[in-house]
Amino acid sequence: MRALFVVMTILLTWTWSDGLLAGDIKGKVKAKGVKHSGDAVIFIDKIPGKTFQPPKEHVTMDQKNLVFIPHILPVVVGSTVDYLNSDDVLHNVFTPDKCAEKFNLGTWPKGQVRSFTFTDPGCASVMLCKVHPEMEAFILVMETPYYAVSEKDGSYTVKNVPAGKHTLRIWHEKLKGESVTVEVPEKGEVIVNFEVKK
Amino acid sequence: MKTIAATVVLIVLVTAIAAEQVHAIPSFSRKYKTSCSTCHYAAPMLNAFGKAFKNNGYRYPGGTDPEMTKEEPVSIGSEGYKRVWPDAIWPADIPGTTPIGIWAIGRIEYAAIADVKWSLEIPHELEFLYGGTIGENFSFFGELEIENEGNETEIGFPFALQYDFSPGFHLRVGMANADPTPTHLRLTRNHYNMASFRSRNGWRFRDDHNGVEVWGAANGAGDRGGFTYRLGMVNGQGLTDINPQKDFFGKATYKIGGLGEIGGTEGAESQASDFYLDNSVTIGAFFYKGTASRANVLDEDFTVLGGDVDFWYNRFILNGALMLMNSTIEGTADRSSMVYYAQGNYVIYPWLIGLVRYEWEDRDTDADLVKPVNALIPGVTVMARANVKLVFEFKKFLDEANKKRDTFTLQFNFGI
Repeated sequence: MRALFVVMTILLTWTWSDGLLAGDIKGKVKAKGVKHSGDAVIFIDKIPGKTFQPPKEHVTMDQKNLVFIPHILPVVVGSTVDYLNSDDVLHNVFTPDKCAEKFNLGTWPKGQVRSFTFTDPGCASVMLCKVHPEMEAFILVMETPYYAVSEKDGSYTVKNVPAGKHTLRIWHEKLKGESVTVEVPEKGEVIVNFEVKK
Repeated sequence: MKTIAATVVLIVLVTAIAAEQVHAIPSFSRKYKTSCSTCHYAAPMLNAFGKAFKNNGYRYPGGTDPEMTKEEPVSIGSEGYKRVWPDAIWPADIPGTTPIGIWAIGRIEYAAIADVKWSLEIPHELEFLYGGTIGENFSFFGELEIENEGNETEIGFPFALQYDFSPGFHLRVGMANADPTPTHLRLTRNHYNMASFRSRNGWRFRDDHNGVEVWGAANGAGDRGGFTYRLGMVNGQGLTDINPQKDFFGKATYKIGGLGEIGGTEGAESQASDFYLDNSVTIGAFFYKGTASRANVLDEDFTVLGGDVDFWYNRFILNGALMLMNSTIEGTADRSSMVYYAQGNYVIYPWLIGLVRYEWEDRDTDADLVKPVNALIPGVTVMARANVKLVFEFKKFLDEANKKRDTFTLQFNFGI
């Protein structure tokens, strides 16, 4: 009897954890007026009563061949981003956005990093290089870890979303789309397609 | 049809103009998919990286050119053929698309003493610019320049082919860099007075100097600053020399601080940088020894010696140069001349640059009757886009003889 109680307790604890009663949100983004449907961020902005810790490991944004990699980087609030210079030329990362404190990281040699911690939830800040004006990337600060960036064909999967009703939002650097309410099943997946346009 | 043919003949007949050095080449922007301002302070004036790119033989520093090239080159011989040489042609590649760009210049000009005070010289000039690399060691650049000069169309077509042994040693044939004015090129519509100053038989730095040149560059300690040198032998006047003597020139510079002359990032840590910043000071010395000829007069032997300084501090640049010329024509008294200028630029915004230049030219330093010419050139450069430039410039002569020759120019350029 005692053993059965222990097993039941473990099962119940597991059941209520995010790991089990969670489903995936899948779908496609159709982007109108741009070359492809990639680089849209699909995310659950809030789960009432829950907060999420940022990862201990720093997230990396590379500067290679005069390009920021990745172009779109969602991070959980409190995350630190390491800006790596992989080029044999000088870069100077900065952002004009207040929500990222208009930081200017200056210049540093190849192979080295400078870092910034993003603390303002909801911030979508543009990353620019003062030396190479064509370089551009975006960092989005999320309140939850439930997000995905769409592939060029528009496909995306937000994994392990806690079961229940959520507001699913979409962000694109040039286009706009409507938020939708989604009922995530306890197991399996739900399909949500988006259209984003100017 | 006859009209077209006559026009073509006219254009072909009116040739050999004073082609300026060309260094703003839009095809590089396409090749690397990068902005003009990667290499230019305000095109065609180069920034520190632009000079490093040039010093690497029009390649990215540190051997990274292949990975930086985003426009796939076309192979004209596979890598394996290196092993077959000398029983095959050494392999190489050429640019994936035709490496030609256009630089267009128009002017609205006010000249105080001209009959037609306001001229709408649009276009003034059209340049078809090309530049790039052929495999690992050859590079090239040049232009076809079509220019209006007093309602006559002039064309020029200088080019240079270069073998790049290393950043420290290049061998160039064709258009040489005999002009000692700053390697980052001028920002103004008005030429540097040193470049336009003529010897008694009409030679000047601004004109084409075609021949052979060896040159190179290297970084200084800690990969900062460094030195450059160039030595050349050229026709002094035009594509076909008009006297049997060849001219010789040389220049050496040493840069303290700032980006290395051949680039690199070691030791380049700073709190802030921008494409127009390069805190450094560069000093240079140069010479030119030549013979100038013109019809029905004796040849002129002349020597030019000089030096320059180029100081970059945050948004401010101060540069100046001095040249002394000694000229000898048999049967006449020798003539000594002195020409100098000093210029300050300030970047108000990255797209708005203010400048003022002071010029002094004393054609004959020993003759009191020949009064020096001196002028002040204030101006503003507006980069409407990275490839669209407006220049507002005033030239105010300060000496008595020329004080009514003031000019005002609105020049606009675009490159594609």
